[in-house]
Amino acid sequence: MAERVVIAAETTWSRRRRRLTWGRVARGSVPYWLILPVLGAIGAILGYPLYRLFRLAFQHYGLEELIRHSGQPVGLHNFGHVLHDQIFWHTLVRTVIFTVANVGLTMGIGTLIALLLVRVSTVVRVLLTAGLVLVWSMPVVVAVQVWGWMTNYQNGVVNYILTELHFGDYFQHNWYGSTFSQLAIVTTLIVWGALPFVAITVFAALAQVPADLVEAAQIDGAPPWRVFLDVTVPIIRPVLLILTSLSIVWDFGVFVQPYLLIGQTHITPGNYLMGIYLFEKGYFDNDYGQGAAISILMLLIVATLSIFYVRKMVRIGDVD
Amino acid sequence: MNAVAVPVRRRPRRRRRGGRAGWNIVAIVLFAVMVFPVFWMISSAFKPTDQINSFTPTWFSRHPTVSHFTTAVHTPYFWTDVKNTLIIVSVTVTVSIALAFLAAVALAKYRFTGRKLFIVLVIGIQMLPGAGLIIPLYVTLASYHLVNTLTGVIVTYMTIVLPFSVWTLRGFILGIPKELEEAAMVDGSTRLGAFVRILLPLVAPGLVATSVFAFIQAWNEYLYARIILASQGKQTITVWLSYFLGTSRSTDWGALMAGSTLTAIPAVVFFLIVQRRIAFGLTAGAVRG
Amino acid sequence: MRLRVFVAVALTAALGVVAATASASVDRHQANKITVWLQVDAQSGWPDVVAAANTQFQADHPGYSVDVQYQNWGDHLQKFDATLAAGNTPDVIEMGNTEMTKYMAAGAFADLTSLKGTFANSSNWLAGLAKSGMYGGKVYGVPYYAGSRVVTYRTDLFKKAGITKAPTSLSQFLSDAKLLAAKNKQKGFSPVYIAGTDWYFAMSFVYDFGGQIAATSHGKWVGTLDSPQAIAGLTAYKSFWKAVSKASPTTDENTPPPYNVYSQGLASAIVGPSWFSCCTGKTFTSITGQFVMPSHVAGKSIPGFLGGSDLAVPASSGNKALGADWIKDFTSTANEKLLQAKGNIPNATSLLGNSVNERAAARSWFVPAAKHWVDVENGNILRNMLAQILTGKQSVKQAAENASSNIALVLNQP
Repeated sequence: MAERVVIAAETTWSRRRRRLTWGRVARGSVPYWLILPVLGAIGAILGYPLYRLFRLAFQHYGLEELIRHSGQPVGLHNFGHVLHDQIFWHTLVRTVIFTVANVGLTMGIGTLIALLLVRVSTVVRVLLTAGLVLVWSMPVVVAVQVWGWMTNYQNGVVNYILTELHFGDYFQHNWYGSTFSQLAIVTTLIVWGALPFVAITVFAALAQVPADLVEAAQIDGAPPWRVFLDVTVPIIRPVLLILTSLSIVWDFGVFVQPYLLIGQTHITPGNYLMGIYLFEKGYFDNDYGQGAAISILMLLIVATLSIFYVRKMVRIGDVD
Repeated sequence: MNAVAVPVRRRPRRRRRGGRAGWNIVAIVLFAVMVFPVFWMISSAFKPTDQINSFTPTWFSRHPTVSHFTTAVHTPYFWTDVKNTLIIVSVTVTVSIALAFLAAVALAKYRFTGRKLFIVLVIGIQMLPGAGLIIPLYVTLASYHLVNTLTGVIVTYMTIVLPFSVWTLRGFILGIPKELEEAAMVDGSTRLGAFVRILLPLVAPGLVATSVFAFIQAWNEYLYARIILASQGKQTITVWLSYFLGTSRSTDWGALMAGSTLTAIPAVVFFLIVQRRIAFGLTAGAVRG
Repeated sequence: MRLRVFVAVALTAALGVVAATASASVDRHQANKITVWLQVDAQSGWPDVVAAANTQFQADHPGYSVDVQYQNWGDHLQKFDATLAAGNTPDVIEMGNTEMTKYMAAGAFADLTSLKGTFANSSNWLAGLAKSGMYGGKVYGVPYYAGSRVVTYRTDLFKKAGITKAPTSLSQFLSDAKLLAAKNKQKGFSPVYIAGTDWYFAMSFVYDFGGQIAATSHGKWVGTLDSPQAIAGLTAYKSFWKAVSKASPTTDENTPPPYNVYSQGLASAIVGPSWFSCCTGKTFTSITGQFVMPSHVAGKSIPGFLGGSDLAVPASSGNKALGADWIKDFTSTANEKLLQAKGNIPNATSLLGNSVNERAAARSWFVPAAKHWVDVENGNILRNMLAQILTGKQSVKQAAENASSNIALVLNQP
């Protein structure tokens, strides 16, 4: 079977792939039967919650209403309240910047690591891949604890190392002193955790790039970055698109890492991210109607941010 | 169907050997930096408590102890929760991959009305913030009497894993060259027969790759497991870990690190077993998008 | 390969069925049971008390079992909210005393006023705890246990600095701290380690000088931190803190835990719950003592924050009478004495002993009994105020006025 896989890889190098659509051969109810289980599973579990979520957004639903199981319809009041909230807009801007930074760093460094993996010897490649997997398999809650520990201003090992390596006096340096510093540490944690997935996926995609094409371009005298942009990227573009859109979705709504790392006692409107804003407004304040409105707004915003990448991916699949 | 004899080349050979040493060094430094937090977790698990809390870090303890591991393993419900997590994750992954595969075939191979809508649904669900759905989801599960059951968590995890899996598997199926499918048609076999015989093995690496992603997502999930599972005898290992942190008194860091190390092991083992398949799987499928 | 896949699928499907039926059947058999939510502290700290309560309950109600489910402080309220929404609440729940008011106001708990007499020592309940369980004149929560704040100190360092007895006034403590600082000049050493934003400790100063956090006036809440007394208290806190603590002015009392600093030898005294003595490190356990934090008035103790828990019966429980009965068994005199032996403060004045912890509870303060008090805590309003004061970014008066108006805003929400 391994040979068959390799053959598949081999043949697709040299020929333009054309997809065989069965739809032309026979229509009928077959596709509907195939998607029915997924639709059924998602519908049965998420159908009602989604419906409830949309209804909640238009109701006043606090703790009392939760206990009484009934809310009062208030039309667009929740949305209006959120959109008039200064904090919402500040948080949105902050989160967009945060997302751009995270996605940019993740995709950039991840791709660089993938390029590195191609160039090293086998032993080192296995070592680095195994290391990436170790990172990937650490539960998020644990990773946050370890990072918090490492960056603890009293006895964090990061301070110790930086001081020992003579980067300056970092004795009891408080990494959580300013909003920028807090979010920078959170970014480091998130990017660190996301790199394995991106690096390994892009690496596998890179292995598909025909060496002949790359060598031909290099012989022509093109500088490495040109080779990369003109030869490599077009071939791995679909993978990059998938990873980028997923990263946008995940990083925009991230909640666990910033909330646990910064710590509940240091979370203020001044360092909210959208995921935390949703949690604070919806759950801590027990204003579920508002929480639902924020959820829907977040959905719309993320959809807008990632529409470019998603449309490209959908179109790729439609080539015939 | 016989394999055509073609010289097997695993990966294009890179040119000069000499330039590799430099890259190797870079890679090793990168490895050290990336893995440092994991190393810190594992080494702390073996340190006596006063060294863990010490203000001057100890790299490798001179008096390593396994007492934290003993504490962790003897903490109530450790093995029960490991069992629960294994059941939940394996059922989730298997059923989800199977169902996602069917849907991915439909998306990749058929033209039907509502196809675009289905794609939007699959992508759209991933864009919803998970925190927003917790309480409505809990209410729904309660009405099905699935609260505090492993099944309840399984079906919830499926809704998390399915969209991602459908999307990825669609890419893999799209990547299969039509020549092989056409070759199967010639046989006169039915489409389904051809499919099972030829395509399933071809897409198997893709299935494996998606399974690993799904496994890690389900294994590490905390929020929903915490809310849905109430009795300690039914909880997952991530919830079990959280008990070390939930007390208002002092935290037993050693036991937490030992517990975390134990928790990370199955995921690593699973990946190491299947990792060779992944390189092939992603190679053959994902690039074709 | 195909066969292997098929077998794998079949196996996991079978596992799934087993899982489903196992959980289902277990639930069906235990129709006669009550569900109790306690915090993890009970599981690790006093499992014998829980066992005693269960035994007593089962003796009184044969055929019934008790399912005790342990919760984390971090997410137990989110879990409770989910059960409220679904209608499958536990029959007994432990709530922090500052968490009670919001839920009482929303009608989450059953009215236990008529049953008050059945609870042991109910006529002598600690005022601070009892108040937290009452709303609108009715009793919704039964006091469980309390904890106060004391000073944990290094007997050897105090002796070396020439301090012969525990300070009895704030000013004396201040001069003692100066002696300690003179004798311990290492980097990062605090005579008294206090986290900057430890509002539980800082507000003690406010109440000590006669101020309070908030009060009602004509049915509305008014923030009173900008009153002259409160400002005097905050100013006293600021000068005390600056003289005795080298902690970061923006850090809270959990990062790092003060006992960690203490166990590293970087503090000669720390302020916090009395159970801090558990974790002072092997080296210092034998040379650690505790005394009551003094007031600025000589001879008195500073009002200490009375932390603690109450037990309540959710209103939507199907076993309210049984839940109340379990609480009665759990808070029996014998059990409260067991809790006291573990270093906690029991729930009634008639049971109080003479430990440092209990003496510190003689003068206590509690948070305003407002529906939205939890939101003030969650919004870190007091912590931010303290950070501004201690870093010098705002004057005491400015910071206090800001905090007061924020508190009023939050507390007066509908």
